[in-house]
Amino acid sequence: MNSTHPDMLALITTLKMAGITTIILMLIGTPLAWYLAKMKSRGKVFIEALVALPLVLPPTVLGFYLLLLFSPQYLPGQIWQEATGQQLAFSFSAIVIGSVLYSLPFVVQPLQKAFEQLGDDLLEAAAMLGASAFDRFFTIVLPITKASFITAASLGFAHTVGEFGVVLMIGGNIPGETRVLSIALFDHVEAFDYAQAHIISISLVISSIVLLSLIYLLNRPNKSRLTTKKQTESKRFS
Amino acid sequence: MGLLLGRVLISCLCIGLMLCSSPLVAAKASVNLDAKPLRIAVASNFAPTLKKLLELDKSDHKEFIKPLLITASSGTLFLQIQHGASFDLFLSADSERPQLLTTTDLAYKDSQQTYAYGQLALWSAKKNITTDLLTALKSNKQRLAIANPKIAPYGKAAKQALENLQLWHDYKSRLIQGINIGQTFQQTRSQAVNLGIVSNSQLVLNNLKGVLIPPDLHQPIKQQLVILKRSQNSQQAKSFVQFLMSEKSQQFIAQSGYAKLSEIEEKIKGEVKGEVNTHE
Amino acid sequence: MADLSIKVMVEYDDFSLSIDEEVSLTGITGIFGHSGSGKSTLLKVIAGLEKHAQGNLAINDLHETDVLLASEAKIFVAPQQRNIGLVFQNSRLFPHLTVEENLRYGQKRRKNTEGNKSLDFTEIVVLTKLDNLLTKSVAQLSGGEQQRVALARALLAEPRLLLLDEPLSALDDKNKILMLTLLTKVQKQLNLPMLYVSHSLAEIQQLANNLLVLSSGKVTHYGDIHQVIHQLTTNNEILHQTSLSLTVKEHLVEYGLTSLALGDQQILMPLNQQIENDANTYTNVRCIIAASDISVTLHEPSESSIVNHLQGTITSFEPCQSQILLTVNCSGQDFFVDITAWSAQRLSLIVEQKVFIQFKANSVRTLC
Repeated sequence: MNSTHPDMLALITTLKMAGITTIILMLIGTPLAWYLAKMKSRGKVFIEALVALPLVLPPTVLGFYLLLLFSPQYLPGQIWQEATGQQLAFSFSAIVIGSVLYSLPFVVQPLQKAFEQLGDDLLEAAAMLGASAFDRFFTIVLPITKASFITAASLGFAHTVGEFGVVLMIGGNIPGETRVLSIALFDHVEAFDYAQAHIISISLVISSIVLLSLIYLLNRPNKSRLTTKKQTESKRFS
Repeated sequence: MGLLLGRVLISCLCIGLMLCSSPLVAAKASVNLDAKPLRIAVASNFAPTLKKLLELDKSDHKEFIKPLLITASSGTLFLQIQHGASFDLFLSADSERPQLLTTTDLAYKDSQQTYAYGQLALWSAKKNITTDLLTALKSNKQRLAIANPKIAPYGKAAKQALENLQLWHDYKSRLIQGINIGQTFQQTRSQAVNLGIVSNSQLVLNNLKGVLIPPDLHQPIKQQLVILKRSQNSQQAKSFVQFLMSEKSQQFIAQSGYAKLSEIEEKIKGEVKGEVNTHE
Repeated sequence: MADLSIKVMVEYDDFSLSIDEEVSLTGITGIFGHSGSGKSTLLKVIAGLEKHAQGNLAINDLHETDVLLASEAKIFVAPQQRNIGLVFQNSRLFPHLTVEENLRYGQKRRKNTEGNKSLDFTEIVVLTKLDNLLTKSVAQLSGGEQQRVALARALLAEPRLLLLDEPLSALDDKNKILMLTLLTKVQKQLNLPMLYVSHSLAEIQQLANNLLVLSSGKVTHYGDIHQVIHQLTTNNEILHQTSLSLTVKEHLVEYGLTSLALGDQQILMPLNQQIENDANTYTNVRCIIAASDISVTLHEPSESSIVNHLQGTITSFEPCQSQILLTVNCSGQDFFVDITAWSAQRLSLIVEQKVFIQFKANSVRTLC
């Protein structure tokens, strides 16, 4: 990419933020999605609504409240300061936390749907064959819902890369720490540097299209298997 | 059938009420020139001051109807004007954008003028600054919030001030840069950063007290206006500008936290300096 | 000889199950009931898949008692720890694994206690006739094949008890017969106790030596299969029928008949290829004769095309609406006969009377 050094730094910062956010999201999103898929009580709708909140809330709203919470005035910011000696607001950690919250539904929802579709039948059968809960997860759930895991991770990553509103509020535009591509893009536009703005924008558009195409390709129903079964059945009856 | 009729009646009633409450109808009686109110695009940081100014103006013989204010960042408004927004006046927070509008023939060259000069102030939301400016800045070993010098006029001036105080090199890596002075104020207010260089008008508006940064430490923050050529209300627009530039209005503006116009102009006359381009 | 002591309760809004029974774990025990009787729920409780069960559940062996559930002591053994297998109504094969991998899944996780000799993989594969299917993917199998794989998979996990929840209901008749034959063979060869749930009494009759009957969440009958079926008959809970387990005397191939021994008499039934071929497994035949297929005569029929006539004594006489349910004992075996009240009156039938019962060879029904 033919870009100036600050934008390269912004790209690296963006990839770091999106990478770490995605890993955290997969680690906390998977049990959350599992819990929601298996939960039957009425509380389920409430938690689902909370998880889905970032989908409808303007990112600036989330950013606004996070800015307050992360500042030393409020408890979360204070706790962080005590624990790490660093200030939470306007730090890399802050934008990671913000991105985790903001991209949560993009990871949880596909996983929840996949787990629900999987149902209990196969898991009960596995249990009756001696498989423990962890065993069942890694030998049955994961292999069967593989595509959804990839989708969830990809969506979480892509969504975080495109993150603007939240990072704008809680980032502080610090090069190498919180100045991500979307912010860099905005700066270029405001400074009338359209050439550079185009470079960043077009790159983001292209990479997003490529990533999304991969996701949709992965999630196509497995045509080859169905054909084989039909062929076998028709042979049987002929 | 009755239901449909009912609905039609209610719709008519609603439309009628809307028309009645329109300033158009109310104001029609008092002015016989250009019956429509002015559409003024005003930068966010000046908007509260302008609103107050208009409220306080009690003179009956208005040569303009109470205008419609459209508030946004200077950049946003500028873009909108470039793409055909139908404003009559543009009150920017800088001088670059009005300049660009005149050179691209979207505004009247002879209408371009400075209506206010920005005043910087150093402020802390955590506790009042009791020392002088230099001491306060030197003793702060943590971060400082300023507006982004590349894109915001107040930021550019803040950078200049720091440079003139020999503190830029020290602070360069410790800055929290807001996209505009509004965000800088918000960031400083959150206390997530100890100190911020904000616009004094923001402090005055919120009854807060900071340390004024002497205007001679930086290029004047010229906030300029232009009358747009697309305007069909230029008579009224001119009247408004006259009002804004009047002694009384200018005094109010200065009291609202902007620099005194006269002081600045003295300085400019004294030292002939060229316009500095933000395109660095 | 182990047994399963069940003292459990399950409560739902619209249904409740309450069982207090000691079920002996020998051979195949059938669990019969209509829809909603609670039979699948009971199986789930035993398997450990029913979270709302309260009470006590334990397997009692000669030497020890293995507690699976004890609500008061907050003991609940997870299904994967119980060493109990379950064959479901739908095969539930793992779609991402081949047939062989499915089979190995259970085998890998077996709990081989006390150094017992493990089951031989190939032996089970041959027994369940899956030799040619090992490399296939699950989607390529027919319904019958899938259930065989499910059975083999459960067996290879070497459970100490195998539960079967209506395993044949999704199969066509031909595959049902195959599976029934297979299950009988498997049970004998591995000496594995089974609990077999079904709403089809005919299936259970074919397989089980004991029968547990459930109705509205409670046990109504438990005991030897033939006895229970006879109880159900006399209680009018099922269609009147006689349930028999007889040995083969000989095969009359040229007449297409098989002769079953009944004391010093015989019963003729249609020749069944499978029985003829598989002499070892089928020296004993299970069959049912519907009470409506048997008729009574006072004198020995001489020139009749009906092949079966047995001599016996009327031991009971139960009016049932406009019909009479007779119990006739022939050579120690009770037979149930439905006749019209009119005929009973016409023939002046009474208890202790010596009569002959008649039924065609075709009336002797067996599933295998």
